[in-house]
Amino acid sequence: MDELLTTDGLKKIYGTVLPTTAVENVSFSLSQGEFVSLIGQSGSGKSTLLNLVGLLDTPTSGKVILEGKEAHKMGRKERANLRNKLIGFIFQFHYLLPEFSVLENILMPSLIGGYKSDKRLKKFAGEILDFLGLSGLEQKNANQLSGGQKQRVAIGRALINRSSLVLADEPTGNLDTTNTDQVYELFRKINKEFGTAFLIVTHDRGIAQRTDRILEIRDGHLVQDVYNKYLSA
Amino acid sequence: MLSLHIAARFLKKSPIQSLLIVAGISVGIAVQIFVGSLIASLQSYLIDQTLGSSPHVTIAASKEGESIKYEDKLQKILKKDKRITAILPQRTLSILYRKGSESAPLSLKGGDPKSLNSIYRLSKNVTKGSFKLTDNSILVGKEFAKSFNISPGDEIEVTLPDGKSKILKVNGIFDLGARELNQSLVFSNGKLPADILGFSKDQYSKIEIQLADVFTSTKVAKEIDKSFTGLKISDWQVEREDLLSGLSAQTSSTIIIQVFIIIAVALGIASTLSVSAIQKTRQIGILKALGMTDARSGTVFLWEGMLLGLFGTGGGVCLGLGLIGLFQWMSSRLETSLFPVEARLSFIAISAAIGIAVAMVSAIFPTRRTARLDPIEVIQSG
Repeated sequence: MDELLTTDGLKKIYGTVLPTTAVENVSFSLSQGEFVSLIGQSGSGKSTLLNLVGLLDTPTSGKVILEGKEAHKMGRKERANLRNKLIGFIFQFHYLLPEFSVLENILMPSLIGGYKSDKRLKKFAGEILDFLGLSGLEQKNANQLSGGQKQRVAIGRALINRSSLVLADEPTGNLDTTNTDQVYELFRKINKEFGTAFLIVTHDRGIAQRTDRILEIRDGHLVQDVYNKYLSA
Repeated sequence: MLSLHIAARFLKKSPIQSLLIVAGISVGIAVQIFVGSLIASLQSYLIDQTLGSSPHVTIAASKEGESIKYEDKLQKILKKDKRITAILPQRTLSILYRKGSESAPLSLKGGDPKSLNSIYRLSKNVTKGSFKLTDNSILVGKEFAKSFNISPGDEIEVTLPDGKSKILKVNGIFDLGARELNQSLVFSNGKLPADILGFSKDQYSKIEIQLADVFTSTKVAKEIDKSFTGLKISDWQVEREDLLSGLSAQTSSTIIIQVFIIIAVALGIASTLSVSAIQKTRQIGILKALGMTDARSGTVFLWEGMLLGLFGTGGGVCLGLGLIGLFQWMSSRLETSLFPVEARLSFIAISAAIGIAVAMVSAIFPTRRTARLDPIEVIQSG
């Protein structure tokens, strides 16, 4: 499989007076279309690692290579552009824009990327809405939706630019069991149908068991990198 | 234009806040337009009242009491100068009016009636009788006529400088708005003083000039002085220094008032936009996480400033014009008429441009704050 993401000796230290090492010497690779979970306890450094590979944060040292591009050497503008093109984000608190409708929220990454809101783009957004079971809610304000619906809109937003990698940080942390199951089923469906790679941060081992590969982080170190078929064996 | 679209949505999302800031800019610009127009109109009214019916530059012979020749060269130069609006070659002599035991010294000023009218606005300032001047007819001032109970059509006897008497017919009574002039000045055509003084056709006592812009008098006077020798050029800015300093003080105070209005408007916009930028930190962080660049996200608040500036200034221009209209309507209803307030298009355009520019400059602080915002700050804070 083609390599999508590679980290090499990734390190992140916060603060200067009292330096705290959040991530240390983390190296792993992700291939196109992989479905991976990143587990660890609260404060283990999993969100920091996700922010580093999502180009939201810069490493103190080490490399982040995305589709062959050395992202760790890039400036803020380049990172923003690469983030827009290659990565779709799904956060625990969905982070929708309350000023915009469901459709506009989904279209936002494309508009930021410079695409025109034309018929073709709207048709694709409509397909995503259908796929996510959100048809009929296009013009609703993002604030008028339930928690599960909001998270599905956030998923739609992560898909609109046909990103090769979706990074999800505790995406079901605020959802009930039914909604959690629905969201994971959706992730799987997207992974299979669109070939999108997923890196899902969770502290729930039960959820992690449903992914193909599990990365475990403890005190900032990557302590386990196993494929699920070996776990179940 | 995504930044503009986002800016418009941010403003629409908080309608009360947006309306308040638009109202704030509108009031500031309206006050700016109204106060500016009021003071500018007051100034031009004062200038008109004090200098409108008097010469701005006077050309006389360098020796006191001597006459000057209004030669072709001087005529050409004066007539060619576009800054000059009126030229009055005039002859002046002192005469004495006696009635019983009372007497009054008068200054008789004679010139071409059309030229006299162009400087002293006799067609407007003659309040009784006719402003027309025929041979041996004169126009007298309001105070003089009142003192000696003189009416248009009356004939008065005056003593000339050589001691001889002459009968003159009063055609009209003028009011130049200055008591001293109304008491002592008498107008006649140019022939009457020429005959008395024995002046030739091109011989005059003085040449009086009026200018389109009264404040160019010193420059014009200097230029004439350079071109001719043996002439004494005087201008109102030197002769009436007190009036000039009063007008200058008024101009300075107007500028100070307008600067403070602009500062107040700028602070209002800057503070509101800053609050708005803080309120929208989360949204800006999300947009940046989705790939919006620092520069582009910063322009959201520049657009907000622009939109607020445009709507606020538009409202301010309408409100300002409304206030001027209200002032005009009120002054027309009052018994004592106030000075007319004129809404000058150029001043309104400048005020509007300042309003928009101030709104945009006020947006710089939130724009910079937004540009610096790191999306991780928002994502980590949850």
